[in-house]
Amino acid sequence: MTIAPALTEPVLDDLRQVVGGEHVLTDRAARFNRARVPAPFPVHRWSERVPDLVVLPGSTEEVSEVVRIANAHRIPIVPRDGGTGLTDGAVPLRHGIVVDVKRMNDIKEIDEVNRTCTVGTGINMLKLNEVLGRYGLIYPDDPASYPCSLVGGRIGTSGWSLIGSRYGHSRDLVLSFDFVLPTGRVIHVGDGAGRKLSKSSSGYQLKHLFMGHQGTLGIATEATLKLYPKPEAELSPFFAFPDYDSAYRAVGELARAGIATFAGAVLFDEWKVDYLRRDDEAYIPQPADVRALVCAVAYGYEDEVVAGGRRLMRIARDNGGRYLGDEVSEGDWAARHDRYATPLHGRTLAGQVIPMSWHCEDAAINYTNLPQVRLEWHEIVRRLRERFDMFDDWGMFAYTSADTGVDYLTEIDVGIWEQRLDDESWAAWVQAKKDIAEVALRYGGSISACHGSCREGEVDLVPQELGGGYDVMLDVKRALDPNNIMNPGKYGLDRAYEPEAGGAR
Amino acid sequence: MSTYRYSEQYRPPEARQVTDVAIERFADIFEVDPKLMTAHVVQQVFPNWDTLRIVASRHDHLDWMHRHWAEKVVSGQRLLDELDD
Amino acid sequence: MTDISPHDTGSLPSPNGDGGSGATGEFVQQWRNAAYNCFSSGHKFCREVCPVMQVTRNESWTPTAFHANVVAMEQGELQLTDIADDYVNCTGCGACELRCPNTLFTGDFYRFRTRTVDLVKAMRALAVDQGIHQPGWQRWNLLTDERSHEPVLGEVPVSQDHVRDWSQGLDIPVGGESILFVDCEAAFYRTSVPRAVAQILRRAGYEFGLMNEQWCCGGPAAEMGYLEQSQRFARHNLDDWRAGGVKRVLVLDPHDYITFTEDYPKYFGEEYDIEIVLVVELFAEMIADGRLAPSVPIERTITYHDPCRLNKRKGIWQAPRQILSAIPGLTFHDVDRVTQWSYCSGGGGGLPIEKPELTARISESRVDKAAQLGVDTLVSACPWSERPLSEAGDAKAIDVVDIHELLAESLGIEVGGRRGQ
Ligand SMILES: Cc1cc2nc3c(=O)[nH]c(=O)nc-3n(C[C@H](O)[C@H](O)[C@H](O)COP(=O)(O)OP(=O)(O)OC[C@H]3O[C@@H](n4cnc5c(N)ncnc54)[C@H](O)[C@@H]3O)c2cc1C
Repeated sequence: MTIAPALTEPVLDDLRQVVGGEHVLTDRAARFNRARVPAPFPVHRWSERVPDLVVLPGSTEEVSEVVRIANAHRIPIVPRDGGTGLTDGAVPLRHGIVVDVKRMNDIKEIDEVNRTCTVGTGINMLKLNEVLGRYGLIYPDDPASYPCSLVGGRIGTSGWSLIGSRYGHSRDLVLSFDFVLPTGRVIHVGDGAGRKLSKSSSGYQLKHLFMGHQGTLGIATEATLKLYPKPEAELSPFFAFPDYDSAYRAVGELARAGIATFAGAVLFDEWKVDYLRRDDEAYIPQPADVRALVCAVAYGYEDEVVAGGRRLMRIARDNGGRYLGDEVSEGDWAARHDRYATPLHGRTLAGQVIPMSWHCEDAAINYTNLPQVRLEWHEIVRRLRERFDMFDDWGMFAYTSADTGVDYLTEIDVGIWEQRLDDESWAAWVQAKKDIAEVALRYGGSISACHGSCREGEVDLVPQELGGGYDVMLDVKRALDPNNIMNPGKYGLDRAYEPEAGGAR
Repeated sequence: MSTYRYSEQYRPPEARQVTDVAIERFADIFEVDPKLMTAHVVQQVFPNWDTLRIVASRHDHLDWMHRHWAEKVVSGQRLLDELDD
Repeated sequence: MTDISPHDTGSLPSPNGDGGSGATGEFVQQWRNAAYNCFSSGHKFCREVCPVMQVTRNESWTPTAFHANVVAMEQGELQLTDIADDYVNCTGCGACELRCPNTLFTGDFYRFRTRTVDLVKAMRALAVDQGIHQPGWQRWNLLTDERSHEPVLGEVPVSQDHVRDWSQGLDIPVGGESILFVDCEAAFYRTSVPRAVAQILRRAGYEFGLMNEQWCCGGPAAEMGYLEQSQRFARHNLDDWRAGGVKRVLVLDPHDYITFTEDYPKYFGEEYDIEIVLVVELFAEMIADGRLAPSVPIERTITYHDPCRLNKRKGIWQAPRQILSAIPGLTFHDVDRVTQWSYCSGGGGGLPIEKPELTARISESRVDKAAQLGVDTLVSACPWSERPLSEAGDAKAIDVVDIHELLAESLGIEVGGRRGQ
């Protein structure tokens, strides 16, 4: 594979002028290593997604210039931050230039009085919070990828946070950002045009539009974030249940209780508990009648957490939950980022250990539909595993998204033995993904609460999910990105450029 | 103080079967039943110090993660006990 | 070619057996499962603790990339020549492999953990084996081979004749059951460290001698890929210990400690019957049982730098803190061991030889963190960290002191020697 003809020496020279020679990478290894995210993909097809080159800009101006050059030469651009996204957003489908923004990770300002900070979008939340902790502050965007995902990717995906029921999700926590449009023009996006406003009703509300677009509308370079006092106290009780139904009832009551410090609740189903018994020190010794789990989490001042916590404990107990004790409860919550996605969880049908990629198929589902969705999803994966001994059902979680219990991030974790994925099993997986998404839509849900929905399989159903809204997406895409250079091929947005493209008009 | 002696590192304590798929060699440290790692992935050479280092580091990491998010942890057991009072 | 057996890497031969022929093919076969175990998770929890990554933000130089490259080699997508240079960018600190959930959460359970440090060493060895050399490392190891010690003084030669110069005036015997092994950096560059250690041992009434014919431990050669040389040096040292009836080797340098407890066991197996004692642990014990009683107050405001090879790679972090808490007069602003998983001096893994500018950026970043605590002194327990940290410390008026030097001072010992040039 060679560099695309469009990237002739003069273009490379221009890019080097902009970002400096050492920040334009053309070697094979640099390109291969930016063609991957954790989502499984047949390894023998890796080279299909390799960019022609990589640039590592250091400022908004540099990003803008790079985009200008790319737009002038019609060269595809793919924004990449942590590269942890699970819907292939940061993976080039048309080669071109990967704009890797990780160098932009400065903390530009900490405003203790207005409770905001302004950062480069290449910064990681854990790293940021190590600094904010010294001020008694916290930026509470807490995905399971907390140690590795970065603020730009949180904007690009409009991410979901484990404690979003208390603090909101990325869209609520990011107040505003500098944004480079596909033409290279830089705008500031937020509520109104202010940097530090949490609510404005002036003009169109553009912030939502420029979050969660998977890099198809441009590149966020500098963001202003909303900060909270670092909590004084944390409570994270875990409860065991003899069956799914009672755990399901309990999680619903916990989430609906309206407790102010409530930060989230999680429901683990029977498959998940079985899976934990494979290798999790907390569950290996649990008696056989532990078949489902619920955890509830609270953050705040100690007196508030204690008061709210008593209610949570009572609700869980009254619903038949057996408290698993402080050690398991505290340990499992602290392990929330690490515990569930390691490859050696994988098992063949014969029980042998194999390294499997973790794939999380997520959807937004209303409380009332969780039980049915669960059964249908497991059935899809069961059929898959029956045919191919390289897929494994790792069970399901349902997490509260809001503070009222209205909807849940519902995920089925599927282990995939990527080392063995061939074209046939890949096709079966893509079909299964489509089936999984179809179930979510049939039950009035959304294809994704968390990661986005632009992978093969699910992406075909996005027009069905959004209806006329999808046509608006096409119009917006065409208007902002006339040459289709921003992350082309994602979300089926190429359709916006087809001659017969109707759009919403 | 832990003096390193080769002879002490490569003989782990006798295993006790805990479940169909797990064993225990060191107190409260579970391990996969080695028979599950014979076909595709084989276990690595693991000196005893390394097992103990990882376990200790895990606990330190978990403590760190609590401190990272909040000044203190409220005991669920205490709250539960208070419900009964 | 490499010293890795399938049981070190956890791989069985692949069913399709690709990845090239010869040494490279063999390497890929050995590392394929270990590489997949990273590749297929791909979460990159390692990224933000990696010292190189923190200052370069270049994803090509991440532990994830180091593993993914092996997968790409197996697929025939990358050749050794495409990637060999990338593997220079590692200090061998071990943060990535410890922070990896595949180690920290399941490594002990499966007896299968992430081994980035071994992988980097093996890739460097493969490169050397295939005639791909890094000029700085090649020269360094050539000189080491010539002189039996690392050329830590640059143009000033180091040699067998001078390896005990640091002990001038201390009248330490040669030989005995317990010997003190002094690494090249401390023996020739920061001689105050071994002088402090020797005098503290004597103060505690601990009988010890020096080695008969001490060569470099061989660890650095292995880190830079010169495996045959490393093994030759190790053989020499083990034979020398045997010949002199040595039972116990006292070690003051964390890098030596790794070499003696990880490389030598691999090289020699059951034959390796020498006890290895880490001096900093011995001193903590001696303080606890009263054999040492530091009493001279030291009026300094300090923080402690956890040497990577102790804290991350060995889990040794308590003993140094016990020593520091026993020294009167100190104001100690401690930073916990887990936060320090992402700290490094940049001095390890041969990085300062091949990429001194990168080492300098890493040590500056480390010293910055100390400066934010408002300390005047950064205490380390690793001679190899002390040179780059001192250079960075000068700019911030932060003094870099070795823990053994500090303890000696508090014991009223006139240390002597040099803290570098
Ligand atoms: C173990 C694990 C757990 C996870 N848990 C969660 C979770 O709980 N909640 C959750 O929401 N997600 C989770 N994820 C998914 C992933 O971490 C998130 O999608 C995250 O927001 C991606 O951030 P990133 O920095 O890695 O972005 P990348 O993967 O680099 O990019 C993601 C998308 O954003 C675009 N993008 C990147 N940078 C920019 C920018 N500066 N401006 C505009 N667009 C940009 C990219 O083009 C891509 O489309 C998890 C992933 C893993 C591996």
